[in-house]
Amino acid sequence: MRKGSQIVLECLRAEGVDLVFGYPGGAIMPLYDALEGSGVRHILTRHEQGAVFAAEGYARVAGKVGVAMATSGPGATNLVTGIADAKMDSVPLVCITGQVRSALIGSDAFQETDVFGLTLSMTKWSRLVKSIQEIPAVIAEGFHWARSGRPGPVVIDIPTDLLKASMEFGGAVKFTPHQRPADTPAAPEFTDTLVAMLQQASKPVALVGAGAKLSGAIPELRQLLDRLNVPTFATVHGLGAVDPTVPYYLGMVGMHGTRAANTALHETDLLMVFGARLDDRVTGDPSRFAPDAKIVHFEIDPAQLDRVRPCQLAVMGDLAETIPAFHEELRRASLPDCSRWRAVACGPGRAELDPRGLAQPTIRFLDELFSRLPEDSVIVADVGQHQMWAAQRYHSDSARGFITSGGLGAMGFALPAAVGVQLAQPETTVLCVSGDGGIQMNIQELATIRRLGLPIKTVIIDNQYLGMVRQWQQLFYQRNYAETDLSDNPDFVEIAKAYRITGQRIHEEVMREFPVAAETGDQLDRFLRSREPELLVFDCHPEANVYPMVPAGAALSEMLFEEE
Amino acid sequence: MHVFHIRYRNTQGTLMRILTAACRRGIDTPYVQAEPSAHEHKVTLLMEVNQKQVGQLSRDWYAIVDVLEVDPAIAVHEVAERTRVARAISSGAPHPPGSAVLAGDGATQPALA
Repeated sequence: MRKGSQIVLECLRAEGVDLVFGYPGGAIMPLYDALEGSGVRHILTRHEQGAVFAAEGYARVAGKVGVAMATSGPGATNLVTGIADAKMDSVPLVCITGQVRSALIGSDAFQETDVFGLTLSMTKWSRLVKSIQEIPAVIAEGFHWARSGRPGPVVIDIPTDLLKASMEFGGAVKFTPHQRPADTPAAPEFTDTLVAMLQQASKPVALVGAGAKLSGAIPELRQLLDRLNVPTFATVHGLGAVDPTVPYYLGMVGMHGTRAANTALHETDLLMVFGARLDDRVTGDPSRFAPDAKIVHFEIDPAQLDRVRPCQLAVMGDLAETIPAFHEELRRASLPDCSRWRAVACGPGRAELDPRGLAQPTIRFLDELFSRLPEDSVIVADVGQHQMWAAQRYHSDSARGFITSGGLGAMGFALPAAVGVQLAQPETTVLCVSGDGGIQMNIQELATIRRLGLPIKTVIIDNQYLGMVRQWQQLFYQRNYAETDLSDNPDFVEIAKAYRITGQRIHEEVMREFPVAAETGDQLDRFLRSREPELLVFDCHPEANVYPMVPAGAALSEMLFEEE
Repeated sequence: MHVFHIRYRNTQGTLMRILTAACRRGIDTPYVQAEPSAHEHKVTLLMEVNQKQVGQLSRDWYAIVDVLEVDPAIAVHEVAERTRVARAISSGAPHPPGSAVLAGDGATQPALA
């Protein structure tokens, strides 16, 4: 006989889970009681949101399903932001929540929340377990959906009485998905059509998103891009998928993308999209997005097609299959010469300007920091100006080297996510880049970092403002800095000390020297090489802005640049 | 007005997910009928949508793991021309609220079963 809680843990082990993140409470206590000796290591965060973001960070770099656990009611509701984040960013995540006793469901019992209903619109799949016998099948199916197709979040809500109940348990089960018409892959003829479209195009481009990385087809994608040899750019989640040193790569596209990438995207007559959603941060004004382009969309999730503009050719299926098929066809095809287009789009006339203005020291600081990182380091960025600066200055070819909350834009993501990343890759240097606003949304996770002794390097870009909101207020709300002033921030170095973490501060003035002083370089090297948790506050100018910027509702060609 | 027919596995929350795809876009659904259909279930929805929303909804529904098939939207006046279905309306099929206006003649009429 096994208790429900033991069955849950054995089924998790069968799914390859050896690490979960969570926070205990009343309804989920039986599961915690069974943890010892189960083979599943539990990481106690200091808030359920920390647990779910940590599970996401783990999943994003480990390429496995992240698991978060919480109790009913407030424990479950605190998971919601992370669940929504996983949905937007296609992260395989299973959240297991305790629920009040079956007999009490619907009675507004203490700590009862309808977590199933609450998360219905943001989960890929979910279940309220109704009997102990269901547990093995529910867990098998939940993990299947979390990791299959376009990955996403799953919620499994288990009443506490079922965790305590016992039954004969014959072992974990396998789930066999049903077939349906929507799962039909792209017809092989798509390659003929696409080659014909390429042969008619004079300004083709390629846009790479997270889907290319999730497919695991990075080597195949890079070979294909080499063969195409057309101007290529990436979304924020596509960073690292393309080798940034190839001459046809133009960097990040979108609201804070490079001039070259946004201009090429605006001018193209054939846009090949590899696993990107084409959301509003990438397209700008949809009605003026790539106005002359035919769109070819390689995508695994049918829900992502035609969201902004109808595509002329939808290539449905796993990019790990469709990219090699396309490349194979290209080997036999002759492509038109688009060297003149490439020379214009990738030429020096559109090269990025050197950083200037109030943001220059911060950008130089990030450049200095990133240039000192060991290969295969992971940067975990929070949300805001620092996120965009970090994305703009990220020039690694590591496909899982830049992690951020890109779709949901959830402040407070980075610090707990860095915990998950570091646990997934204990030997890797993990650099958490946050802002003075975002860090305070989950600053309690410094306790988790200290408890585990994780050598995470946390950088706070401190501009004493909610910087990105302030930037918009400056540019579009006549400098009415309503409720974005954080000049009464606590001393983050002292906060770090209170958590028994070494803290230090660098003022932006030191980054005005060129090259930076040797002692500053040494300070950064020591910071990055430490095998202890470290925190570094960088004092940034309060009115530094992120440029280029495409204002909301503008076309990609209408970028704003830093004033002289 | 458009009619959609969706076949789905009647698992927890699948019908709600189908309806939520419309709710999140602020689309009213004046008529819903869900019923068993062979080994699965079928839901018929009537809603006022534009062509872009037809595409978005269809793709959102396909993305629900327990949705098996989505019939392309059919404008109600087209359906009404199929006399067999039109007869079903007049023979006492369940009626939607009176606000359901059928495209084509502008009159308030019952929608399809």
